[in-house]
Amino acid sequence: MTSPTKAEGSGSAVALDPELASTSEKVEPKKLEGRSPGQLMWQRFRRDRTGMFCAGVVIFYFVIALLAPLLTAISGTDPYTLYGQDPTYADTPVLDDFGLPLGYFGGVSGVHWFGVEPQYGRDVFAMLVFGMRTSLYMALGVTVLVMLTGVILGLIGGYFGGRTDYWIGRVTDFFLSFPQQLFFIAFMPVVTAFFVDPREETPTYFRAVAILIVLWVLGWMGMARLVRSTVLSLREREFVEAAKVSGASPWRIVRKEILPNVVSPILVQFTYQLPSTILTIAFLSFAGVGFVEPTPDWGRLFAVGARYAEQDPAFMFFPGVALVIFILCFNLLGDSVRDAFDPKSGR
Amino acid sequence: MKSLTSRRARAIVVAIAAGSLALTGCSENKGTSSNKDSKKDQKEASAQSKPVTYGNAAASQGPAAAVAGAKEGGTIQVYQEAGLSHLDPGQIYVSDAGQISNLIFRGLTNFKEDGKGGVSVVGDIATDSGQSSDGGKTWTYKLKDGIKDQNGNEITSADVRHTFERQFAKFIFDGPPYVRSWLAGNQYKDDPRKLLPDGGFGKKHLPDSVLETPDDKTVVFHFDTARPDFPQTLAMPGYSIVPEKTDTKEKYDKAPVSLGPYKISEYKVGKSLKLVKNDQWNADSDSVRHQYVDGWSIDFGVTESTQTKRLIADQGVSKNAIQFTGSVESTQIQDVISNAAINKRTIKGYQPYVMQLTFNLDRVKNKAVRDAVTYAVNSKSLIAGEGGAYGGDVAPNLFAPTLPGYEKDYDPYGRLKTPQGNIEKAKELLKDVPAAEKKLVFAYGNTEQGQKRKVAIEDALGKVGIDVVSKEVDAASYYEQIGKVKNPYDIYITGWGQDWPSPATVVTPVYDPSLVGDGQSNYSHIKDPEVQKLIDKALGQEPTEAAATWKEAHKYILEKVNPAAPLWYTKQFQLYGSNIGGARYSTESSYIDVNNLFLKS
Repeated sequence: MTSPTKAEGSGSAVALDPELASTSEKVEPKKLEGRSPGQLMWQRFRRDRTGMFCAGVVIFYFVIALLAPLLTAISGTDPYTLYGQDPTYADTPVLDDFGLPLGYFGGVSGVHWFGVEPQYGRDVFAMLVFGMRTSLYMALGVTVLVMLTGVILGLIGGYFGGRTDYWIGRVTDFFLSFPQQLFFIAFMPVVTAFFVDPREETPTYFRAVAILIVLWVLGWMGMARLVRSTVLSLREREFVEAAKVSGASPWRIVRKEILPNVVSPILVQFTYQLPSTILTIAFLSFAGVGFVEPTPDWGRLFAVGARYAEQDPAFMFFPGVALVIFILCFNLLGDSVRDAFDPKSGR
Repeated sequence: MKSLTSRRARAIVVAIAAGSLALTGCSENKGTSSNKDSKKDQKEASAQSKPVTYGNAAASQGPAAAVAGAKEGGTIQVYQEAGLSHLDPGQIYVSDAGQISNLIFRGLTNFKEDGKGGVSVVGDIATDSGQSSDGGKTWTYKLKDGIKDQNGNEITSADVRHTFERQFAKFIFDGPPYVRSWLAGNQYKDDPRKLLPDGGFGKKHLPDSVLETPDDKTVVFHFDTARPDFPQTLAMPGYSIVPEKTDTKEKYDKAPVSLGPYKISEYKVGKSLKLVKNDQWNADSDSVRHQYVDGWSIDFGVTESTQTKRLIADQGVSKNAIQFTGSVESTQIQDVISNAAINKRTIKGYQPYVMQLTFNLDRVKNKAVRDAVTYAVNSKSLIAGEGGAYGGDVAPNLFAPTLPGYEKDYDPYGRLKTPQGNIEKAKELLKDVPAAEKKLVFAYGNTEQGQKRKVAIEDALGKVGIDVVSKEVDAASYYEQIGKVKNPYDIYITGWGQDWPSPATVVTPVYDPSLVGDGQSNYSHIKDPEVQKLIDKALGQEPTEAAATWKEAHKYILEKVNPAAPLWYTKQFQLYGSNIGGARYSTESSYIDVNNLFLKS
C-alpha cells in the first residue's frame, strides 16, 4: 500500500490538495496511462486517512462478529448460561441481592471480561459478540436487499418515465402507506401461526427470514424514490443524449452512463440505513415480534442497558460504546467513499 | 462532507469514551444484603393472613379512631401511572379505582383494619356487617340514619336496591360478577342479566323473593344457597352505593356522586383528578374513614420510574406525595433500601398474588412429570427477572401470605430449601418417563418480562432433561389464550389474587372442577371429584369453620393432584413523601391505606 505522503509527493508540486490534483481532468504528465473512474476512486480513497481507518474498524467489527464462537471459546463463557442464577455456579457469586453485579465496573473480571448482566448474570462479552453477529449480519442482509430493490426500481422508473414510472410510483406510494412497524406486529403472529405447528417452537432461522423479508418488502421505497429523482435529472443531460443519439441500447445507457452517477447517493443512503436497521431489529424484539430471548441481539442489549443506566452504567457502557464507534466509523467511511467518488460535492 | 477530519473524529471518540467512563465511575460493589428485611416481611405476613371477623353494630359506629398525631389541612398529591378505566362504582374491579373508591364512595359494608393485620368487616352505611338467617341464605341490612350523598339527598333502601339492580344493566360489564350471579341464582346460571334486563331503570324491579325492601331503612337479600362471605363481597368497591335519583347511566362513569369524605371537584380523564371535602359526609356515621386533609390531587401519566425518582428526591410538592397502586421501580429498589432516611418512608408487604407454573392437566397427565417440574423450577432466577429480592419471595405452596389459611412452613416440595431447583430429585422422578412425555410446550406472553421468564424456565427444566418448547403468545391476549380449554400448551405461568380475604375467592375460581370452561380461571383444568367435594363443603361453612376445610383442600390439591408448581409471592414496595403521616400498609388492599393519611405540616 502506498503511503499517503508518497502518493502526494508523486503528484504535481502545485497541487496542495492531492485530491484536487487528481480530479483535474488532465492526465498527469509523467505517466500517460488512462485510469478508469474506479481506479481513480480507489486512489483517492487510499489517500483519505479517516476513510482508511474507519474501513479498518468496520472490517474489524464484521470479523469479530464472524469469529464470535471462537472468541467466546477463548473467554470461556457463553451467552446462554445464567452465571448469577445457575446453582452450578453458586460458589462464584456474581450478583448481589438486588441482582446487580458484584465487583468493579459491572462485574468486570478475568472470567467476565465485560462484566455480567444484572438480574440473570449472563456474560456481557459473550452476549455482545454473539449479539453483534445477529445484528450486523441481519442488518447487512436487509440493507443490501433494500438497496438492490430500490436501485433497480428507481432506475427503471426514472429512466423509462411515462407509464412505467407512473405505475412504479403508485406501487411505491402503496408500500409507503403501510405503517411498517405496526404491520410487522400484526403480521408476524399470523405468519408464525400459519407455518409453525402450535406445539413446536418457532425456529430462530424462521424469525430471521421473516424479519428479513418484511423489513425488505416495507423498506425499499425511500431508496427507489431517491434513485428515481436522481435519474430523472440525469436523463436529460447531454452525455445521455449523446449516448442515445449514437445508438446505445437503453441497457447500456443505464449501466454505463447513469448508474455510475447515482453511486454516491446510494452509498450515503447505505451508510445511514445499516445502523438504523440494527436499531429497528432491536425495536422489533422489544415489540415482541423480533428475536426473542435468549437469542443475543446487540440492539436489545443496548436498549435493556439503558434501563440500568443509573444503577449499573457499565452494563450499557460496553454495548453502547461499541455501537457508537461502529456507527460513527460507518458514517465516516460512507462520507469518505462518497468523497472519493465525487470529490467536488463536499466542497 | 470533508469537514470531519480524522483528528476531529478521533477527538469525538475519545470524548465519548472519557465522558462515559467519568459517568460510570469505578467503585466496587461489595454486595448489599437485603435478607433482613425479607425475613421481617415473612413475619408480618403471618399477621396478614388472619381470618376476617364480622363486626357488630358497636364496631360499625363512627367516628373512626383518631390517628396518633394527625393534623388537619393540606392537599395530598398522588402519582399514578395509568389513567382510570372507570369511576362508576359498578364498573370498578381494578385496584387503582378501588383506592379512589375508598375516598369518595361508601357501600353497605367496609373493611376495617387495626393496623396489626386484623381485618374485620363492619357496617358502612349499614348499622352492622349484616344479619344472616335461613342458614346463610338470607342477609338483612339496616341503614344508618342521616347518611347523605354530596347533594344532600338522604340514602334510603331504594338507593341500595337501585345499586344492585343496575348491576344487571348492559352498561355495567367490567365490575365484579358475584352479587349479580348470586342474586340470579341457578335459574339464570348462563346469563344472570336475564333476571332484570333493563337494570331497574324501567318499571320492573327485582322480585321480593330476591331483594326485598320492607321499609326505607331495611334491605333483605335472598339467595338460593348459603353465602357466608356475603358481607365481605359487599365491601368490594364495585358494590358502592349509587343514588337512584342522580344515576346518569353511561355518563356516571365520568361524574359519579359521592357519599364518602371527599367529592370530585375536577376530573380530566387520563390527566388529573381533584378531590375536595364533601361537607355532607358525617364523621359520626363512619367507623373507618377520616377527613384530615382538605383535598387530593391525583396526577395520571407519571411513570413508576418518575414516581420513584420524585419521591426519592422528596422536593416541594413531592413531600406531600404518595403512590396509589404504583410501586418502587425495580431498578431503583437498591437506591431506596440503601438509604436509611428513604427506607423509612416505605410501605412493605405482600401482594395477594401467587405466581405459579400451571400444568394443563389435559395434556400433562403423568404426575411424575408434574412433580419433577415442581422440583426443578428455579424460583430464584424467575424472581431475579422480576426485579430481585424485592420482586418477590419464593413460594412453597399455593396460598398467598395474605390469605387466611396461609402456612409459611407448609412446603411439600422443599422449595424453601432448594429455591434454585432440586435437580437430583427431579432427574430421579423422570428416570422411567418416556421421552415423549418429557416434551413440554411452555406458553409465555411475548414481552420483555415474558421473555425473561422463558429464559429462566428453559434453563431450569432443560437441566433435568425436559425438552421445553417455548411458544410466544400475544401479551395482550395472554390470559385469553391460555384460558381456552382446548389450548395447545402444556405449562404456563399464571397468577391469581384474592378478591376478599377468603380462600373461597382463590380455590373456587382457580381449582373448582365445575368451573372448567373457556375464559374461566381454572387454567389447570383440574377435574378431581375429591377437590369438588371439599370446595362444596367449605363454601357452605362460616369463615372460621371453612378455614380448616380450605386448608385440607389446599393440601389435597398441592400434594395429590399437583396442578401447578408454586413459584413466587409478589411483593408490595411503595414509597411516600416525608410530610405524609399515618402511612401504613393495608392488608386488605395490599397497597398504602388511604384512610389514615394526613400531612404533618
